Amino acid sequence: MSTRRFIVEPRGLASPWLKLLVPIGSVFAALVVGAIFLALTGENPFSVYKEMAEAGFGTTRSVAETLLTATPLILTGVAAAIAFKMLVWNIGGEGQFLIGAVFASGVAIWLGDGAPAYVALPVVIVAGGIGGAFWASVSAVPRVYLGTNEIITTLMLNFIAINFTNYLIFGSTSPWRDPEGATFPQGRPIPDGSRIPEFFERLDYGIFIAIALAVLAWYLLGKTRWGFQVRIAGDSADTARYAGIGVSNKILGVFLLSGAYAGFAGGLFVAGPVGALDPRSLILGLGFTGIIVAALARLNPLAIIPVAVLMAALLNSGPSLQSIGVPTATVTMLQGAILLFAVAGEFLIQNRIRRPDKSPNTAPSSGEEASPA
Amino acid sequence: MNESWVVELAFAAMVLGTPLIFATIGEIMTERSGILNLGVQGMMLVGAVSAFWATYNTENLLLGLVAGILAGAALSVIHAFTSVTLRVNQIVSGLALTIFGTGLASFLGQAGSDPLVGNPAPVVFEPLFSGGITEWPIVGPLLFGHDLMVYVAWVVAGFASYYLFHTKMGLSLRAVGEDPASAEAAGINVSAVRYAYVMVGGALAGVGGAYYSLKIVPTWQDGPIGEAGWIAIALVILASWRPWRAVFAAYLFGAAGRVQFTLQTLGEPWSNIPSTILAMTPFVFAIIAMIVLTSGKRARFLGAPAALGIPYFREER
Repeated sequence: MSTRRFIVEPRGLASPWLKLLVPIGSVFAALVVGAIFLALTGENPFSVYKEMAEAGFGTTRSVAETLLTATPLILTGVAAAIAFKMLVWNIGGEGQFLIGAVFASGVAIWLGDGAPAYVALPVVIVAGGIGGAFWASVSAVPRVYLGTNEIITTLMLNFIAINFTNYLIFGSTSPWRDPEGATFPQGRPIPDGSRIPEFFERLDYGIFIAIALAVLAWYLLGKTRWGFQVRIAGDSADTARYAGIGVSNKILGVFLLSGAYAGFAGGLFVAGPVGALDPRSLILGLGFTGIIVAALARLNPLAIIPVAVLMAALLNSGPSLQSIGVPTATVTMLQGAILLFAVAGEFLIQNRIRRPDKSPNTAPSSGEEASPA
Repeated sequence: MNESWVVELAFAAMVLGTPLIFATIGEIMTERSGILNLGVQGMMLVGAVSAFWATYNTENLLLGLVAGILAGAALSVIHAFTSVTLRVNQIVSGLALTIFGTGLASFLGQAGSDPLVGNPAPVVFEPLFSGGITEWPIVGPLLFGHDLMVYVAWVVAGFASYYLFHTKMGLSLRAVGEDPASAEAAGINVSAVRYAYVMVGGALAGVGGAYYSLKIVPTWQDGPIGEAGWIAIALVILASWRPWRAVFAAYLFGAAGRVQFTLQTLGEPWSNIPSTILAMTPFVFAIIAMIVLTSGKRARFLGAPAALGIPYFREER
């Protein structure tokens, strides 16, 4: 039509370098935005960032704490990635995480001291997954059979789960509440047989379970027939139907699996560092943060592992900021900025910008990549 | 009679519903243009802190309101850029805006040598009328006992409703949300319209936030709005994208926010209901209403814009 200074057109397959460069650039750009706000409020951004890096990775102890926080983030990140890949907008990871924790701690308390650890531990973690899948099903079933928008229902279920967890400890005399914590209500400690053993500082073997589950998700989505069909259905529901793939079944399966992963995170966190259904240690936004992890890792379950470690270090640096008089909200602000830049960066991965007068080669290349986040 | 718990509950429901009206109508206008903005919570919070900051420093409510409007609109431009210009995923972009806005609002409240946090607002919105008229039974407090913003909310609802369904500009807006390609063919600049109404949504979310920090919670604290921004997004659907219905839906949710206090004053057995159970009822109600009212084709029938959430790719040649 008219003379445009630039032409934007869909790119074919983006180079691996670009796919790596955009997330790294997102983090860097977010740090610049954060630095501007820090400088405006009279802080030295470099010393603040140095403090944060030391709090996250400075000592072996802080590395152990970072990996401890990364454990649930890997799983809530995979939970979001599984769903988003198929354009299922499960933003209920927070609620599925909490109900997973409720199920896991409930089963652990019910089993008591009687069961040996090699029985109790798998049962407790699987119970977490079942809890998460159950909570996801409240949104998934209406989505699949009635067409109800899952964005709002998963979101609302987060707030219901948060209040329900608080109810079990603060609002009732449920089996989850510690009968001996007379002065201030707290969660009943789960039996030692249901706790994941620690091997370095407070770090427990849960990190390896989380990594194994992330690899499993990568295998399921990338290497199996089921995963192939899910990817087709995610790209185009019509194509999938034409190929005889049951789209409804795939959506239901993906939704429940996504919930199960968030639930596993809750189970591992309860059986790991927390050791009880303790709302103050569990309601930290780990489910929401999983969405940031998934987007920054571009929905790749393997990339989620390092991204979760980075995000965990960022989360853990909050308290250290308080000690130097910098708002802890800096962490949330940086998280939001990272996600904003990561989602905006998708534009660069999916499109190329060129001058109009150059080559006449206007035919868009095939094999376009439909990655949603 | 005006001391009856029913009147007091209704009065409080209107106050608590007012910021929801602003935010919900803002999101209705945004979604009517085809853009889903899940950043309402973030825009309300940044509006709240900006309004509080301006009023705290100038002791002027109007300047506070203006600051809230500008801050909400400014933040919304980010979402307009990602979803209209870059055409990336609106859901993730909106969530990012909420996380960023939540952090920014909290940061601005805590930062500096003399932080806002813990300080009371020097002036707050006061009742508009006084004297005998406000003491009439029932209608006295409910219709004449409020501050200016409660009435402004009605005006906004009336204006938005008229604008959407009875003006040419409103028709253009709805056309862009229903069928952007046809709207473009009819000479409407789809991108400009979408930018404009994303910003209208941001501005109104800012007003809602300002009403929290200058009336409902007039001492600055982290997260003074609770989950209001998320509730507003659910209210858009319950109001089926119509401004007047948003008023009633917002008052209903305002009542849900107050009922806990009311039950405490009623004594046993009402006061025994745990607060956590009451706090989850609005969300349970929203889910049930969603499933019953808006499933499948019914959502379209109710008025969901056909192009909602779908990026628009203009034909280049």
